Amino acid sequence: MAMEGIFGEAVDRIGGEPISARMARKAPLRHLDPTLLMVTLLLTGFGAVMILSATQHKQEAAGLDPTVFLDRQLAYSVAATVVLFAVCFFDYRHFRAFAPVFYVVVLLALVAVATPLGQEVQGSQRWIDFGFFQMQPSEMAKVVVIVALAAYFSVLKGQLRARDVAAAVGIVALPCLLIYVQPDLGTMMVFVALLGVMLLVGGAKIRHLLVLAVLGAGLVGFIVQAGLLEDYQVRRITAFLDPSPDVQSEGYNLAQSEIAIGSGGIGGKGLEADNTQTSLDFIPEQHTDFIFTAVGEQLGFVGSATLLALFAFLLWRALRIAAMSRDLFGTLIAAGIAGYWGFQLFINMGMTMGIMPITGIPLPFISYGGSSLITNYMAVGLLLNVHMRRFL
Amino acid sequence: MTGGGPALSGERSTGADRTVLRLAVMAVLLVAAFVALFSRLWYLQVLAVGDYRDLAKDNRIRLVYSEPTRGRILDRDGDVLVENRESLSITIDRQRVEPGTLRERRVLYSIARLLVREDAPRYKKALIAKVKEMRENLNDATVSPYKPVAVVNDVRESLLTHIHENPEDFPGVAAERLPIRTYPHGKLAAHVLGYVGEINEDELESEEFQGARPPYEPGDLIGKAGVERTYDRWLRGRPQIKRVVVNSAGEVVDEAIRQEEEPGRDLILSIDVEAQKVAEKALESGIMAARGAAYQAPDGAVVVMDPETGGIVAMASYPTYSPSMLADGLTEREVEKLRGDPATGDDDAEPNRAIQAQVPPGSTFKIVTAGAAMSTGIATPSTYLPCPGAISYGASGIETVFENWTSVDFGSIGFPESLEISCDTFYYELGWRMEDLWGAANGDGSERFQDYMRQAGFGRPTGIDLPHEAAGRVPDAEWCEEFAKDGLGCFDGWLPGFTVNMAIGQGDLTTNPLQMAVAFASIAADAAEVWEPHVGWKIGRPDPETGEEEILREIEPRAVRKLPLDPTEIAVIRQGLEDVITGANGTAAGAFAGFPLDQYPVAGKTGTAQIGSVDSGLNYAWFVSYAPADDPQYVVSVYLAKAGHGGESAAPVAREVFEGLFGIDDETDVSLGQDASG
Repeated sequence: MAMEGIFGEAVDRIGGEPISARMARKAPLRHLDPTLLMVTLLLTGFGAVMILSATQHKQEAAGLDPTVFLDRQLAYSVAATVVLFAVCFFDYRHFRAFAPVFYVVVLLALVAVATPLGQEVQGSQRWIDFGFFQMQPSEMAKVVVIVALAAYFSVLKGQLRARDVAAAVGIVALPCLLIYVQPDLGTMMVFVALLGVMLLVGGAKIRHLLVLAVLGAGLVGFIVQAGLLEDYQVRRITAFLDPSPDVQSEGYNLAQSEIAIGSGGIGGKGLEADNTQTSLDFIPEQHTDFIFTAVGEQLGFVGSATLLALFAFLLWRALRIAAMSRDLFGTLIAAGIAGYWGFQLFINMGMTMGIMPITGIPLPFISYGGSSLITNYMAVGLLLNVHMRRFL
Repeated sequence: MTGGGPALSGERSTGADRTVLRLAVMAVLLVAAFVALFSRLWYLQVLAVGDYRDLAKDNRIRLVYSEPTRGRILDRDGDVLVENRESLSITIDRQRVEPGTLRERRVLYSIARLLVREDAPRYKKALIAKVKEMRENLNDATVSPYKPVAVVNDVRESLLTHIHENPEDFPGVAAERLPIRTYPHGKLAAHVLGYVGEINEDELESEEFQGARPPYEPGDLIGKAGVERTYDRWLRGRPQIKRVVVNSAGEVVDEAIRQEEEPGRDLILSIDVEAQKVAEKALESGIMAARGAAYQAPDGAVVVMDPETGGIVAMASYPTYSPSMLADGLTEREVEKLRGDPATGDDDAEPNRAIQAQVPPGSTFKIVTAGAAMSTGIATPSTYLPCPGAISYGASGIETVFENWTSVDFGSIGFPESLEISCDTFYYELGWRMEDLWGAANGDGSERFQDYMRQAGFGRPTGIDLPHEAAGRVPDAEWCEEFAKDGLGCFDGWLPGFTVNMAIGQGDLTTNPLQMAVAFASIAADAAEVWEPHVGWKIGRPDPETGEEEILREIEPRAVRKLPLDPTEIAVIRQGLEDVITGANGTAAGAFAGFPLDQYPVAGKTGTAQIGSVDSGLNYAWFVSYAPADDPQYVVSVYLAKAGHGGESAAPVAREVFEGLFGIDDETDVSLGQDASG
């Protein structure tokens, strides 16, 4: 494309470089982050293998298709890949204008969950059933809230006043309330962590953060004191302080989880091993929230540390993109995503190893579940988007 | 990148610097999180892997033990004394049906309604009685609370169907086929056989049950008393051990047999069922006869022993109990019954008085004093000593008078006559002489009299293969000191009179019928050997094809010591013992009047150990004997508590036993003899 020069003649060079060449050099496709894509695929593959290994024995014993969970997860990852490229395709800067729209849509979806449209499983109403797929809007809400906060803070250009902080709290509080009634304490915690990360990177003053932390602690205290949590929720959260192999106790899952990981040792017991904690079904919810126990038991310290390394690489790429972003909006999105993954994997792995309370937070890319996987791919899409448009 | 990139240009640069700083803060937080995860992972999988492997093993591996069939107990001829049968029993899980609750009441009544026929007379009363009986079983504290308790045994098969079809009426109720010990001869030899029960914590920790292979486990059935206990390791067998792998739901996913089951071995006793019957019957008749003569006679015991091997042919203790009562746990009423019965005058039934009594032996002990005197050289077989009506010792003025049981002066007599008439003064003199030389009060304190007693088997367990044997007591200066320290007596230290009294089997000397039998057996045989008595004889197993008993091992008779007596010394004692029966003044001559002594000569000694005065009736009546006197086959030791004189109550029991052993046809039951000796 030629541009009009100040003298009216066509300008086809800038700094001695042909514009077409310059355009080509800055073309988004050329600046895709292939290593990020690679680690995404590696993590997804890792997860798929673990899902198979965590479910096949149980399925076989029940006379069911042993690969059904694997098949579904692979299908989800295909869908998620489509979503990823869709997210990449449009310049992320357009998302700033659309952020309020996304936000309202997600809020409506969360409201819908609370209506009879929502589906209840084990006492929690978190899903909307589409027949072929059960969507969990609270997962998508994580990315939407990241984008919404990033959009808001980027307008403020890193100068957050007290009322801006309050407004940000409001933006997070609305979906949080809707998730609280589901109830889903784990996801709520993710939102609170996201708020913290976004405020930190978005430029909130230290004293505001401190005040917020004090208020937050006060709120938690109030919730516990006022008995707004069910007994089982409190017991579950405090169980990690006292793991116990007693089946009756809340610490049972945790004890079994630690035993699985600990008994894996350095080299692990192997994916096909018989008579493992995994194959004998000692860990409830193993293919979802407790998937890391299968990694620990079957692949041992070597496999677990490899997974940790892959995650470290992922977070490094996200933070690198945050630093490289052309604008504050992109930085905030990337930082938010890094915070989101970092928090989830820390809480999830921490809970299986007994250093964090037990909450229903999935391990990104590894845990079985379509909504979670699609959300993670969405996040990767956003990162790629920011990365490849850093020169435009 | 050219020109440093637009992100760092223009007005945004200060803001961007701050943003990078904030990103760095975030990166530090993430690094901290990773360090925490990595350290925990390192701890779990590298440092503590051993612990977690063990825990994982505990999770999935269970060892399942079968209950092997317990071995039988047979008499010396293969007559079955104890075997097993299967009982279809109703059990209740006390975890689900807690005693004392409404639910317990409901469940028990539901079961009772199945057991009591509706058209039975006094239906309601029968129902209540049944519930009471079951409740007692349910509350049995001797059974582990974690195992279902059998409340009714031997129920009909049809009952089970009903229970299975109406599970809502019977929560926690199940049926089990339980092996139960049965006793074809009923009460016979109850004290020897003992009974079985669940091992308790004290037993588990005790040395007796340590080191067994396979080790004892809580819930194991063990012998609690008698040979069931001493030979438990043979009788118990070896369970099948199955190692199973279970999943979280407790379902078995894999199993392997670690050890094959081996049924328990049979135990063959030296006991002879016929002799045992004779002994028990004679003992009971003797007790009844003594009661008929207004004695209390609350308990007693008889031991029949083979003097050539120490094998126990019969061992009876009165009162006795039915071992089958104990085979299925005790109800309160049964405990009461065991405790004795004031109405009949029976003492408590549990102790085996043949080995657990601890009472003075009275004059039966004179054979020991005679042996001690001759072996130490203060007397010879031809020694003659006076037998006055009384004798006194000590410095004039403070002398003590020791009386014979009669005031008649028999003049100078030798050992045989001293035993025949049971002359106390003769033995006082022997005691005095031994005290003078070796006693702790008058002599050099070497206590050679007591040494001889211990050699003869007193003051120590005989080593019989039955639990809870009493050692009895040989009083000496050391014991006296302890006794005084405990504030029980002996406050002036050892006194010469103690030795004098001990010489006629009185004072603080205590023994039991078995020790007396062993002491007499060593006199009855020329070798003067002191046997370690035994009731167990052989270990065997029934041949699976012929059913005949295959003997695996035999318990060798064991002489533990030898008395320092030569044949002439033994001969005078034996002569005396024969004269007790045949002599004109023999203290048991009356009791054996009419007995075919020419065919079966008997030798024995009466004993009357005083508690109060001789005539108060509170004496321990003893008669210890052997026959045939020229070739002894049996030693018979009889002891009756608070039953008058030895020749009066105990000797007739021995006579009855000999009649039974030798098959002497005699219609008469035990009737009291004549004896006034001490």
